[in-house]
Amino acid sequence: MDAEKRKQKLREMFQRVVDPLGYKFSPDEEIVDFLLEQEVMLEKEHGHPFCPCQGLTGDRELDMKIVCPCIPFHRAHFDAMKRCWCGLYVHKDVEDPYSLVQISRSEFEQMQKEGKV
Amino acid sequence: MKKIMMYTLSTCPWCKKSKNFFTERNIPFEFIDYDKASKEEQQKIREVCSAHGESIAFPFVIIGDDVVVGYNPQKYMKLLES
Repeated sequence: MDAEKRKQKLREMFQRVVDPLGYKFSPDEEIVDFLLEQEVMLEKEHGHPFCPCQGLTGDRELDMKIVCPCIPFHRAHFDAMKRCWCGLYVHKDVEDPYSLVQISRSEFEQMQKEGKV
Repeated sequence: MKKIMMYTLSTCPWCKKSKNFFTERNIPFEFIDYDKASKEEQQKIREVCSAHGESIAFPFVIIGDDVVVGYNPQKYMKLLES
């Protein structure tokens, strides 16, 4: 399957997974296209469409938690940002993805401690 | 001027944006693409991330003694000005 077709296939598959979780593809089509392209490449190289913005460790258990869509493994963190880490997905009510900022894991944990999320 | 080091991924658009942020302002920085690094370098980067209580998420930007994980121009600017 060529890269374009695989990209389209992943898009269809991912849509079915993220929709019930309350997420949609980012309205920024350019970013979506770029990220899916990277995922097709990562799948070809490493066997799975890993998140293009998180690093592989070689530990299978950890690495499987960053296979796209990785929302279920980071649900509370991503919900707090209203986006996933790489920004491929945003909450369904988000119209401007650039209004959202990435919150690191340690910042998120601090917010949890302070009861802000 | 504060020293800037960035750990990035070649596949990450936010890492590219972070690099552009500093490039456009003529602010010198160093970077290592985690996915292109040797196993030893990757291990070191993971240790740095863990030491800061972070996951292996990029961009990981070190400005002086401070760390910003993620693309956050406001935070970069604030740290550069402080």
